[in-house]
Amino acid sequence: MTAIGDAQAAASATAPAGKRALTPYWLIAPGVVWMVFFLVLPILMMVYVSFWTQTTFRIEPILTTKSWQTFFASDTYIGALWTTIRIWLVVLAATFLIGYPTALFVGLFVRNKTVATALLVLCVIPFWTSFLIRVLAWRPMLGKEGAINDLLMGLHLTAQPIDALLFTELSVVIGMTQIYCVFMVGPIAFMLGRIDPNIIEAAQDLGASFWRIFRTIIFPLSLPGVVVGAIFVSVMVLGEFATAAALSGRKVNLLGNIIVTQVGSLKWAFAAVAGVVLTLIMGLVVAGLLRLVDLRREL
Amino acid sequence: MSSASQADRVDAAASGAALRLDHVTKSYGAKTALDDVSLSVPDDAYVTLLGASGAGKTVLLRTIAGFESLDRGAIVLKGKSLDGVAAHRRGIGFVFQNFALFPHLNVFENVAFGPRNADGRGRHDRTIETKVQTIIDLVGLGGLETRDVSAISGGQRQRVALARTLVSEPQLVLLDEPLGALDANLRTRMCGELRRIRERLGITFLHVTGSETEALAMGDRVIVLDEGHIAQVDRPDRVYARPRDARVARFLNCYNLIDGRLARGGFEAEGRLLPCAQVGPADAEVYALRQDLITVSAGAPGGSPEGPRLPATFMASEYSGPAVTSFFRLESGRIVTVEDHLGHREPRTYDQGSSYDLVWNVEDALILPRRASDGA
Repeated sequence: MTAIGDAQAAASATAPAGKRALTPYWLIAPGVVWMVFFLVLPILMMVYVSFWTQTTFRIEPILTTKSWQTFFASDTYIGALWTTIRIWLVVLAATFLIGYPTALFVGLFVRNKTVATALLVLCVIPFWTSFLIRVLAWRPMLGKEGAINDLLMGLHLTAQPIDALLFTELSVVIGMTQIYCVFMVGPIAFMLGRIDPNIIEAAQDLGASFWRIFRTIIFPLSLPGVVVGAIFVSVMVLGEFATAAALSGRKVNLLGNIIVTQVGSLKWAFAAVAGVVLTLIMGLVVAGLLRLVDLRREL
Repeated sequence: MSSASQADRVDAAASGAALRLDHVTKSYGAKTALDDVSLSVPDDAYVTLLGASGAGKTVLLRTIAGFESLDRGAIVLKGKSLDGVAAHRRGIGFVFQNFALFPHLNVFENVAFGPRNADGRGRHDRTIETKVQTIIDLVGLGGLETRDVSAISGGQRQRVALARTLVSEPQLVLLDEPLGALDANLRTRMCGELRRIRERLGITFLHVTGSETEALAMGDRVIVLDEGHIAQVDRPDRVYARPRDARVARFLNCYNLIDGRLARGGFEAEGRLLPCAQVGPADAEVYALRQDLITVSAGAPGGSPEGPRLPATFMASEYSGPAVTSFFRLESGRIVTVEDHLGHREPRTYDQGSSYDLVWNVEDALILPRRASDGA
């Protein structure tokens, strides 16, 4: 009986199997086509163009490494590279330090899902204003006669306005942290919200203090959220140029700003070199972060 | 309190009480979850706490464990009041319904969590490792120490949860529906395992369950909890044979309950006078007949004229392996269930829609109050 049943099942499965096995791939066909034409090919093109010959007003498809040599010999470009990495690390740390406690509150201590969702929506409020307004709004806030300096002086905490607040690296870090913090909070809060409250109760019942429970249970279980959040923040900060331009008064040059300037002055090969370097850094950062946790276990 | 005194009488033979609850009351807003619960749990025993969902079982357990505070009353463990004692200092272990294992730690690390992290220290030493290994072997998990808890079976997870609790040497272990997440086959095996492990340790297990068969099979003592109060505390066979009120009887899922009232010379129900052997309490309103103690007679009017009988129409039956459950409709429309155990009686077939007589021994009928008042 069973043998016959199995054989029939197998027969009915094999006949259209070849055709059926391919059917699901049609689902990703539009996505793949889109990505190949508008992502993979342009990236390859960018790598290719970075080896073209650049003269003052022209670019010719004659292969050379001159743009690469110029890039790595120039203090401006190397400086921009280090500034980018420095600002990325500082913003990453700041979004983590501000975002993790927030996520801990939303994901772990607010057990009402509606309230938790409402709080996460609050984090997204900065995105209700346009990017430009959001960045420019920092100026009356951080400026010499801005709100913060007025307040500090009004309270007699400082005698003179602090001018380090605006048009410095600090202001760029403040601006970026505010904008990108939510990308850190969201994934962490999501992971924390998935922790079974019984697990924490079990740990308490076994005599562990809150700090030990945090170190041994909560933090390790939230790590995938931290990594996903860090990837979001990293990718966005590394590719940033607008916040840096608007809040540093063009004093802080990130690789993104270099690319904008080079494209503006039609130096396509240099822009391509900076683009390839930036893409490589992002790839390394994402690969490194993914090594920290096994995201497959969370899917 | 009658339930407490009843329990005390039962436990008089056993050694002293391990756990005593005095007038424990707990409310959530307007809802009373525990209503003046008093009971005592004997030492070195397997006690089951039976109740429907929403009866307050989990609240009671969580209150004893110290996860919830109580509004009034006292909890005493081995003569020491637990008032204001933190959950982990009570000497009470808790096994969660879904096991609540630490998903990122392996079997050994899960069991070792308590000893390693208790009291704010992070300790890793030989004595802990030996102790953890002993417990792992005790619950039969030897060889699985380095496995991920996601890579072991439900029954093994249950053992990890138990071992994790036992390693801190509790005097009392609370198990919240510990077999609920297991399939039926495994459940029967784990029942025996849990009893064996408890006997080896000589401590008290308080096992909460919603399944009457599990409660009766596991417990040296069964506590029936009904809507936040203790309905009965007794040996399993006595709970089964002599439920204290109609609510307990209904919960045991093996009684036919017929409403009526006490009258001179019997019990008035279904438009007739049913004889009864015992003198029920004055407020008795329910005539309880165990499903497996009813005989179906083919309606021959001769029969035995003595003894109680009720005419009924056969409706349907269900075959469940060792037994056949048949449903009959009384004249009033009430459905009566009759269980025929195939090992003891010939399987019988009844004609649908035909009339039969349901016959029973007058001694087997119980006359119960709808709900036992605590003073009774």
